[in-house]
Amino acid sequence: MRFWQWRRSREDRELAEELQFHLAEETRLRTGRGQEPEAAHRSALRDFGNLTRTQEMAREAWAWSALERLSQDLRFSIRMLRKSPAFAALAVTALALGIGATTGVYSVVNSVLLRRLPFPHADRLVVVWETQPPTGKPNVVQTGNFLVWRERNRSFERIAATESLPVNLETGGDAVQIRGLRVTAGFFEILGTPPLLGRIIRKEDDVAGAPAVAVLSYGFWQRQFGGSDQALGRHVIVQGRACEVIGVMPPDFRLPTQPGIDLYAPMQIYPRAAELDGRNYFVVARLRPSLSLRDADAEMRRIAAQTAKERPTLNTGWSATVTPLLEQTVGETRPALLVVMGTAALVLLIACANVANLLLLRAAGRRREMNVRAALGAGRWRLVHQLLTESTLLAVAGGLLGFLLAYWGVPAILRILPAGFPLPRREEIAVDRAALGFTAVVSLACGLLFGLFPAWQIDRARLQEGLRAGGRHGTAGNRRVRNVLVIAEVGLAMLLVIGAGLMVHSFVLLRHVDPGFRADHLVSFRMLLMASAPDLPQLRARRALLAREMIDGVRTLPGVRSAGSIHLLPLSGGNSGSWYSRADRPAPPPAQGGGDVSLISDGYFRTMGIPILAGREFDEHDQAGTPSVAVINQTLARRVYPGEDPIGKRMRVTWDRTDEVEIVGVAADIHHNGLRTAPDPCLFLPNAQRSTGAFALVVRTDGSPAITEAVRRRIRQVNPSQGIWEIQNMEDVVAADTAEPALETSVISIFGFLALVLACFGIYAVVSHSVEQRVREMGIRLALGAAPGAVLRQVLGEGLLLAGSGIAAGCIAALALTRYLTSLLYAVQPTDPPVYLAVALILTTATLAGCYFPARRATRVDPAMALREE
Amino acid sequence: MDDRIELLQGTLDMLILRTLRAGAQHGHGIGVAIRASSREVLQVEHGSLYPALHRLRKEGLIEGEWRLSENKQRARYYRLTAKGRKKLQAEESRWRRMVEAIGLVMRPV
Repeated sequence: MRFWQWRRSREDRELAEELQFHLAEETRLRTGRGQEPEAAHRSALRDFGNLTRTQEMAREAWAWSALERLSQDLRFSIRMLRKSPAFAALAVTALALGIGATTGVYSVVNSVLLRRLPFPHADRLVVVWETQPPTGKPNVVQTGNFLVWRERNRSFERIAATESLPVNLETGGDAVQIRGLRVTAGFFEILGTPPLLGRIIRKEDDVAGAPAVAVLSYGFWQRQFGGSDQALGRHVIVQGRACEVIGVMPPDFRLPTQPGIDLYAPMQIYPRAAELDGRNYFVVARLRPSLSLRDADAEMRRIAAQTAKERPTLNTGWSATVTPLLEQTVGETRPALLVVMGTAALVLLIACANVANLLLLRAAGRRREMNVRAALGAGRWRLVHQLLTESTLLAVAGGLLGFLLAYWGVPAILRILPAGFPLPRREEIAVDRAALGFTAVVSLACGLLFGLFPAWQIDRARLQEGLRAGGRHGTAGNRRVRNVLVIAEVGLAMLLVIGAGLMVHSFVLLRHVDPGFRADHLVSFRMLLMASAPDLPQLRARRALLAREMIDGVRTLPGVRSAGSIHLLPLSGGNSGSWYSRADRPAPPPAQGGGDVSLISDGYFRTMGIPILAGREFDEHDQAGTPSVAVINQTLARRVYPGEDPIGKRMRVTWDRTDEVEIVGVAADIHHNGLRTAPDPCLFLPNAQRSTGAFALVVRTDGSPAITEAVRRRIRQVNPSQGIWEIQNMEDVVAADTAEPALETSVISIFGFLALVLACFGIYAVVSHSVEQRVREMGIRLALGAAPGAVLRQVLGEGLLLAGSGIAAGCIAALALTRYLTSLLYAVQPTDPPVYLAVALILTTATLAGCYFPARRATRVDPAMALREE
Repeated sequence: MDDRIELLQGTLDMLILRTLRAGAQHGHGIGVAIRASSREVLQVEHGSLYPALHRLRKEGLIEGEWRLSENKQRARYYRLTAKGRKKLQAEESRWRRMVEAIGLVMRPV
């Protein structure tokens, strides 16, 4: 910098000297021809023309000129911006918000949707599903079908089945429950991540009767073994059985569809399971390098057609399909993320329009400066360069701030999300170099975008005209551009606020959905029942006894009002299903009939606060030896017994065995599978008569916080090796069910609010500028006796016209675009009239406020002052 | 004044180089020389002469040196470099071909 500045000034001095010499020579020449020395000098000077311009042009011949020009413009820009700090602060803030929002959302979109999964050749990783008749919806895979696929396919390098495995782990006196995954051999090779320590599950581990082994996650290894190498070869007690630790996976290893797995164990499929098992397996595979997804899909459909012929009872109507693992992981999140990204981009666009407008207003104010500079010989390009430097400087400052906003904001938002929040690849989200690159590109693009508006206005002809017009600010052309920008701003804000309004309306409706049970003072304890017995009937009896003892034990605790159990907790990810139908009618084909099944204890409905509409709920008399009974929910009663009294009727049910049950009660519907979905038909069977390992204890308490610990101790007294997987207040469970719409609604609302503020400010700036320009006109009108009210109305009318046009444009855009919100909305149409009306009202009020202050100022113009001003 | 012709686009550089072949000269001298050798027909605008001199200097075709003029004033004298000499030759032959070609097109019918 120093060097070329020094060289620069030397160059300048020399050039000046050279030109001085030229003038002296010319004067001497002319004097020699007989002119008076004084006249000769003047004529030489006149003929030489614009000395400065020549100097400029000669200077521009030098290569460092561009760099120097930039530095000069930059210094000038900083000086100009420092002279109007309010303008600079507003512009930079608007940009920082817009760029911060887009960068933040982009970093999530990039990390979640765009980036490849963190495995070698991740594009070849796929998930293979069966598809169920008649919908063709993907379904987990039946054991025997998986074995056939593994044997016959030619599309995959490897294919492996996985099944989640709740793990009850006994660790020196205390028992914990963690998430495990049973995998067939080849699972780790498919993902391609080598173990950090030891080895992965091999073929010889994955045969029935092989010794029990386990591969641990990094986190579990750290917690359980303190990260010691000695962990290999040690044993962990899983479900009462000792498993040898054979390997540890690296910290970031996870199957992206099932994060949070702490232990991997071999599947060890028993030969007979191929025939007996239901559909349980989540199947992953790695495509051969030369094959396309479509090839694999076609082959799997062919194989499924074969299995449908070979085992028709199980497979009639079923087919298979192949989905990329990335799509499987993020597919459901994509629409929401893209909507949020679009929203953020619109906020940025509004911010740009806003800054463009501010720059135009400034350009109008700086017309004189530009005129003078042009008259002094600044080229048009030079002025454009100057303006673009200013706008880019603003954009870069806004971009830097915006990036910091995203850099701190995104992790902060991620931290406050609840643990079970349905955002895949959450651990991979980072505001990283890619995001920084995005910020840089977006900032520069913005700088050019809104810098071009004022630059565009520089037009040599106009400039000269401007000089003649003296100091009058602003021309009609400039004002038209500004008005269009403001209308666009209001329109975009309208669009965003309508979007936000729809989300809020939908969310309010969602929060008013009654889950069907009373969630207050209700605590749930989820676990896998730890019972062991030599055979299945004894195991069932043992489980039933264990459940009985736990419930009875908890009921006697002080502070416990009532207690009961259900095998899969409502609003916690799914339900069991099975076939059932009226016993007094012929059985429907297997594809029809049936629905959800819940295994519950006596007192469950009372504890949950679910009303019994007819008959009774289970009681202590419904035991293993007594007649089989069932309770059905309202929806099932309506569907299967329309217009009949179901009490005393009999149904044919398959669970453990197929037999008939007598319906003893009808319970009110609850939203078991989510507040957004309508209740499904559900059949309740008594825990004491049927069995499963999944178990959720629900306890209604008097609210004292110590109860959780008391219940935990009581469970340990009943069965010391029984761990608890998760303890949750049911209020939290209900809130978690709406966590995703809550986040979407708040993010879009925040963006909508930003848009609203920016648009109001835009209107305010334009109207107040227009008032300032017409101070003289207002003064004359007031002096001639116009009522202040009339002036006020005129200014407000002008603002309202802008706002109205914007609101109309925004409505049209919203009608066209809000359908992309459909997947995020609950019970609200994207064209919901009340929302449109309310938002139009909000926007009109807000823009009116934006116009009101300048309008008031207009009425307070002192006529004498105004007339003297110019 | 009226019988003076504006320089053809791109010929100024060649004229400067040609003038300097006779020996080192300062800017004003170059202008005077061009005017004189064109019998007062070609008028070099100062506004283009000095930028051209700087450009040529930057391209390394000429170099400048401060000396005292005949009137004992400090002046920057320009002289051809080897590169400039080569450039001049190329330009001259290009020019000659162009004049011939244009002459052919413009010959009397």
